Amino acid sequence: MSNEELIAFLKKNAISVACVIVSIALGFGIYYRNDLLPEAEKVLSARTQQGELLAANIEDSSQLKEQHAAIIASNELISARMIRVGQLAENLQYFYRLESETNTKLTSLRQVPLAPQPKGAPKTNFVAVTFSVTAQGDYKQLVDLLRRIEAGEHYCRVITCNLKPLSDMRGGQLQLTLNLELLATQ
Amino acid sequence: MAASQTKKSDAIPVPPWHPNLRIVESLPDTKVVRTAFFVNGAAMLVAIALALYLGIQEWKIFEVNKQIADWQRQIDRDTKQSNEAVALYQDFKLQEAKTKEVSDFMSSKPVLSVIILRLGAITPKKIALDGLDFRDNGCSIKATVKGAPDRASGDASAYEKQLRADKILGPMFSDVNLLTMNRNQSTGRLVIEIFCEYAKGQKKP
Repeated sequence: MSNEELIAFLKKNAISVACVIVSIALGFGIYYRNDLLPEAEKVLSARTQQGELLAANIEDSSQLKEQHAAIIASNELISARMIRVGQLAENLQYFYRLESETNTKLTSLRQVPLAPQPKGAPKTNFVAVTFSVTAQGDYKQLVDLLRRIEAGEHYCRVITCNLKPLSDMRGGQLQLTLNLELLATQ
Repeated sequence: MAASQTKKSDAIPVPPWHPNLRIVESLPDTKVVRTAFFVNGAAMLVAIALALYLGIQEWKIFEVNKQIADWQRQIDRDTKQSNEAVALYQDFKLQEAKTKEVSDFMSSKPVLSVIILRLGAITPKKIALDGLDFRDNGCSIKATVKGAPDRASGDASAYEKQLRADKILGPMFSDVNLLTMNRNQSTGRLVIEIFCEYAKGQKKP
């Protein structure tokens, strides 16, 4: 086909040729921009998720400041009720003060040295310090002592407790042997 | 001569002809609807369809990009506040762990003074407590039962049932068993031992 024939053909089929050229151009456009939509939808999905997460964080934290302040205040009170592991004299003084207040007699009082934490044990904020206490007194005095220890200024749990009379005589003196733990900070 | 006459009479008649001088390509299309109409129409339809498809695709991309931009603006606006909230929550969790640790510590064992006081309150006069031994898993009650042994054994059994059914002590113990019942040779009275096993997961009374 010579150039003249080609020109004549184009002139004769101008619309068709133009449409074919436009269609090819559009086809290329569709082909090259076809991936943009799924990618944009992926980005939109991620942004939506992120935006909703942030919005939820803000919504959920509406009372967080007050709650945080309340728990900080609560923990300050808790900290004030902790004993210190190394302050042996002060720790024992606590029991002697109770002895004096309840008119009992502490025949044995010992703070058990803290055993090192086993490897892999979960880290805790506080440690439980064990005390071995033996007291003598009448029933009321000893129960009073036990109540004051359990509900006293320091956090306490009694591991074992033995209450028995000192002699066979009824209504006489009793002996209270306690193995207890007080919560402490290092 | 005769031969030429014979040839003339035998010749096959040929229809009259003339040379076809038409140039078909240059002749006008004489169909009712010209072929070019269909060809052009089809080409235009394809082009329009493709243009529509591309246009819709571009419009969708534009819309999605617009939404992305909206979300991005919201993210930029909320990020700082959200980060502050997350940091505050992390600290809250640390503080909460301290509180929970104390709570777990306190609720891990029963309050023994409550049990002792309750035992003192509900124990019948016929039964005198000789000793209480609180261990890790429960409480051992040693007591002497007054009266003749035949009635005392019944009293001991009733005391065991009473402990099991008590509204305060009952829920704290999973099991209450009379372990021993012996006669004290010097006094002649029955000496009993009852073991009350703590209920699993037992918290404060």
